[in-house]
Amino acid sequence: MNHALRQHAEQQFAGELAALARNDSKPRPPNWLLSPWAVAAYLLGTTLADGTEITPKYIGDRRLIEIAIATLATDRALLLLGVPGTAKTWVAEHLAAAVSGDSTLLVKGTAGTSEDSLRYGWNYAELLAKGPSARALVPSPMMRAMQTGKIARVEELTRIPADVQDTLITLLSEKTLPVPELGEEVQAVRGFNVIATANNRDRGVNELSSALRRRFNTVVLPLPTQLEEEVRIVETRVGQLGRALELPAEAAPLEEIRRVVTVFRELRAGATEDGKTKLKSPTATLSTAEAISVVNQGLSLAVHFGDGIVRASEVAGGLLGAVVKDPVQDRVVWREYLETVVKERPGWKDLYRACRDAE
Amino acid sequence: MAESAVHIFGVRHHGPGSARSLVRALERLAPDLILVEGPPEADDLVAFAAREELAPPVALLIYDPEKPADAATYPFAVFSPEWQALQYGVKTGVSVRFMDLPQGIQMALATERAEAAAAAGDAGLEFPGLPQRDPLGWLAQAAGEPDGEQWWERMFEHRRDGADAFAAVLAAMGELRAAGVDWTRTADETRLAALREAHMRQTIRAAERAGRARIAVVCGAWHAPALATRPPAREDAALLKGLPKTKVAATWIPWTYGRLAFASGYGAGIHSPGWYEFLWQGRALAADRLATRWLAKVARLLRAEDYDASAGGVIEAVRLAESLAALRGRGLPGLPELNEATRGVLCGGDELPLGLIAERLIVAERLGTVPDDTPAVPLARDLAREQKRLRLKPELLPRDLDLDLRTENDLDRSRLLHRLRLLGIDWGERRPQPGAQKGTFHEFWQLAWEPEFAVAVIQAGVWGATLPLAATAKIRHAAAHADNLPALTALVDGTLLADLPAAAEVLLARLASVAAVAADVGLLMDALAPLANLLRYGNVRQSDATVVAGVVTGLVTRIVIGLPGACASLDDAAAGELFDRLLTTHAAVQLLQNPDHSEAWLAVLRQLADQAGLHGLVAGRACRLLLEARRVTPAEAAQRLAFALSVAHAPAQSAAWVEGWLRAGGLVLVHDDALWRVLDDWVTALPPDHFTTVLPLLRRTFETFAVGERRQLATRVAAAEGGRGVGAGRSAAPDEFDVARGDLALPLLAQILGLKLESTP
Repeated sequence: MNHALRQHAEQQFAGELAALARNDSKPRPPNWLLSPWAVAAYLLGTTLADGTEITPKYIGDRRLIEIAIATLATDRALLLLGVPGTAKTWVAEHLAAAVSGDSTLLVKGTAGTSEDSLRYGWNYAELLAKGPSARALVPSPMMRAMQTGKIARVEELTRIPADVQDTLITLLSEKTLPVPELGEEVQAVRGFNVIATANNRDRGVNELSSALRRRFNTVVLPLPTQLEEEVRIVETRVGQLGRALELPAEAAPLEEIRRVVTVFRELRAGATEDGKTKLKSPTATLSTAEAISVVNQGLSLAVHFGDGIVRASEVAGGLLGAVVKDPVQDRVVWREYLETVVKERPGWKDLYRACRDAE
Repeated sequence: MAESAVHIFGVRHHGPGSARSLVRALERLAPDLILVEGPPEADDLVAFAAREELAPPVALLIYDPEKPADAATYPFAVFSPEWQALQYGVKTGVSVRFMDLPQGIQMALATERAEAAAAAGDAGLEFPGLPQRDPLGWLAQAAGEPDGEQWWERMFEHRRDGADAFAAVLAAMGELRAAGVDWTRTADETRLAALREAHMRQTIRAAERAGRARIAVVCGAWHAPALATRPPAREDAALLKGLPKTKVAATWIPWTYGRLAFASGYGAGIHSPGWYEFLWQGRALAADRLATRWLAKVARLLRAEDYDASAGGVIEAVRLAESLAALRGRGLPGLPELNEATRGVLCGGDELPLGLIAERLIVAERLGTVPDDTPAVPLARDLAREQKRLRLKPELLPRDLDLDLRTENDLDRSRLLHRLRLLGIDWGERRPQPGAQKGTFHEFWQLAWEPEFAVAVIQAGVWGATLPLAATAKIRHAAAHADNLPALTALVDGTLLADLPAAAEVLLARLASVAAVAADVGLLMDALAPLANLLRYGNVRQSDATVVAGVVTGLVTRIVIGLPGACASLDDAAAGELFDRLLTTHAAVQLLQNPDHSEAWLAVLRQLADQAGLHGLVAGRACRLLLEARRVTPAEAAQRLAFALSVAHAPAQSAAWVEGWLRAGGLVLVHDDALWRVLDDWVTALPPDHFTTVLPLLRRTFETFAVGERRQLATRVAAAEGGRGVGAGRSAAPDEFDVARGDLALPLLAQILGLKLESTP
């Protein structure tokens, strides 16, 4: 029994992967554990011929997943773009698990990520004692992926400093990693590939150079398209987070979650759900993740300071904070939305008043 | 049916693959007669297909000369199988005939239906909300494909192999029909389909009787089985007996790729004419080279638009498109795969360039041409008829026209001219009212007919068969594509003057949605005035009035919310603009006479009057408007004036405030002593250098007053002088006056004034 707080995808879904491999008769690219069809089935969910139920890992546009898999099959690197909370990391992890059976070859991008984490480092005790040798070399996840023909993941690519990003260019175009200290090089085994994720809104941090961008095929993961889909995601996550904080999830009524999600979706889309009224959009991202935090904040307000049930007054403050990021422009957008939509909508009077009070 | 004289070729209208297979099949068959699904009334026009000037996209237009509004179009693109059949015919000299149920009968039937519906009190909606059922959908479903169109495209249009496709189509459609699948939605549609097929069969039988040995029949795939097996002739004859018929005329007109997407006489619209043309042009190429060529075209377009699209990128995009096609179980990449590869590789996930590709390459808008000697288009006839009815002769030399809109004839003339203007035919030009005001019943025009207008009329024929129809279609199109408020408000005016209710409806809906996202409060204010006018005085139908009222409410709400922000940090020029807008908006709000709007507007004016750091021009006018609306008492106004004129403010700012407050209306000064005194005190207390700064500003302000007002003010100054003793301006004592120097000027003055100078002793 694994006691890890969070299991890797290939551990958690080992049964499904094994069943897929058993039922998979289609050709597999070199060093892939499954055929592209089976990888698609693993991500999108299906029922296999032997009756095994494969749960969907990604709920959304099937075509996007197909493009991602086809990209990996052409040994081009894959870049998943999207605003926060669009399941980029989640998709990358599951793709790596399904293709290589190993989602742990991960480089997490930060401002402090150095070239060593993309190439190799040294065991300095060994290096000083005996000089450069293969034993003294500490391979990066990238290097290990090249040696074993697996998928390496790079998270938050745009947070990595530009000069370190450039290391990737050689890796991706030459598919070799020279080790000049040993006079050797590591040639990537077939099956090696890279999945990178980056945040759309982060472009300003370390814009990808066009040289690097050309090495990637890009797939943009969108926000959820359906109201009910998003409500379900928020509800599930609020439930999970509530358990961790020991808050009763039932204190957040579905109706209130639906209202919060509706506000988010309408402002994000720039139109009311019925499509009749056009709206201005604020500068804020308004991702599903933020909707979750608004509900969560309301939940803890209600439990600790209120009567235990989340109502309009508990979410109003959170909504205002999430929507109005720019004090001038966003306030105009928010007030227009309140006056033209919230005020008129039947059953939303309480939310209107609460939001007016919160300002 | 190898021994039969009749060979059925079931095609997809506008399908390049079908066209390709058809050409090949015709070459192999060498028919002595080609029958094409199309209006028999156009048989005489087939000969035009040999002419180079007839360049597709073109359309056969069948219309009722009495009622040009009743018209049907049969468009042809270069990749339409029907067009290729015509081309084959005119090139080889084989006669080509159309075999569909005559359009004259179809129109007469439609008229009958409409009359019956009207008699039954039906709203006249032909297909009340029923979706059209797609017979291909069933086949696609059986093949595990979600979309019928896509399936057909993959199975037949992208096919590169032999002519067996026609046998397969025949068999597949036969199965569908045998299984009871039907695409028609109403009993009327079902009947029409049966009549059409009966007529086509009758035409085929007649050709057989005439002794033709190899008859090629080109029809929509769906009809193929019904034409292949022909029941006894008398059944069809009975079916077709006694049908009503309208007399119709036919002609070729230029068509556009954009309009190929519309439903038409063939009932089939396509959404990617550019892509089809590409497939057609590449028909001789090996199939696997098409993706490369298409993506190279895409890359060239992207480069021309300054996107980064390298040759290496094209290679990778081709690979991705091919492996996507393989993953989806297709032999070759289709348009969806190519588009996805373009986005993922060449555009870096960006959606924006794809819109460009769709517009330039996938639709690739273009206009066809027709020879000059094709029969006149109905729009030109309609125009000629209207010109005759309204006694407006097209004349080259300009002449002026004064229309009295109270008379029916002149009103119709005005509508005609406005409609032509909307179609881009500027026969008449609006002139300002000369001299005396004659009220709003008059419109002044200058008419001059340019020869180019004849061409413009033919081009406008794309939009519709009569002036109102064409203008309506064009406005609806323009409304859908305009995305800024000024363009739309400009259209509203013309559309209402041209009396096009159907266009106005669409336009107003569009206006409402664009106004919702317009960020510029100034534009919102500009849009409000014409709409308020319209609502108050305009000739608007009840349903439109509700829409306009909705738009107006939205505008007022947004103006009220956005105005304080828009007024922050203005320079003089911007403040001047806003000042004018403040006046027009105030007038518009008053015109609306809606208490809610007035209340909100006055509240925002008060907010403006209180706003710190606001440009004086705007703040002053806000205060003035509040005073007029009695939201500010004269005493408070005086207090505000004094505040604005306090020394802490820069004199220029104070002067601007005064200008905003007083411009074009000084009467308030005449009547209110307190205000007068505050202003007077401020002017007299100004230090000399500040006085020279503000003098031009004050002068400009006072110049805007009417002459009478200025005179009254002068009287008041004189009276005030008397009451308050010596003013600052008169402080120079008479004895300091240098008489000798003054005398020197007198001779010149006398000369100017024409006086005789009396010598001063």
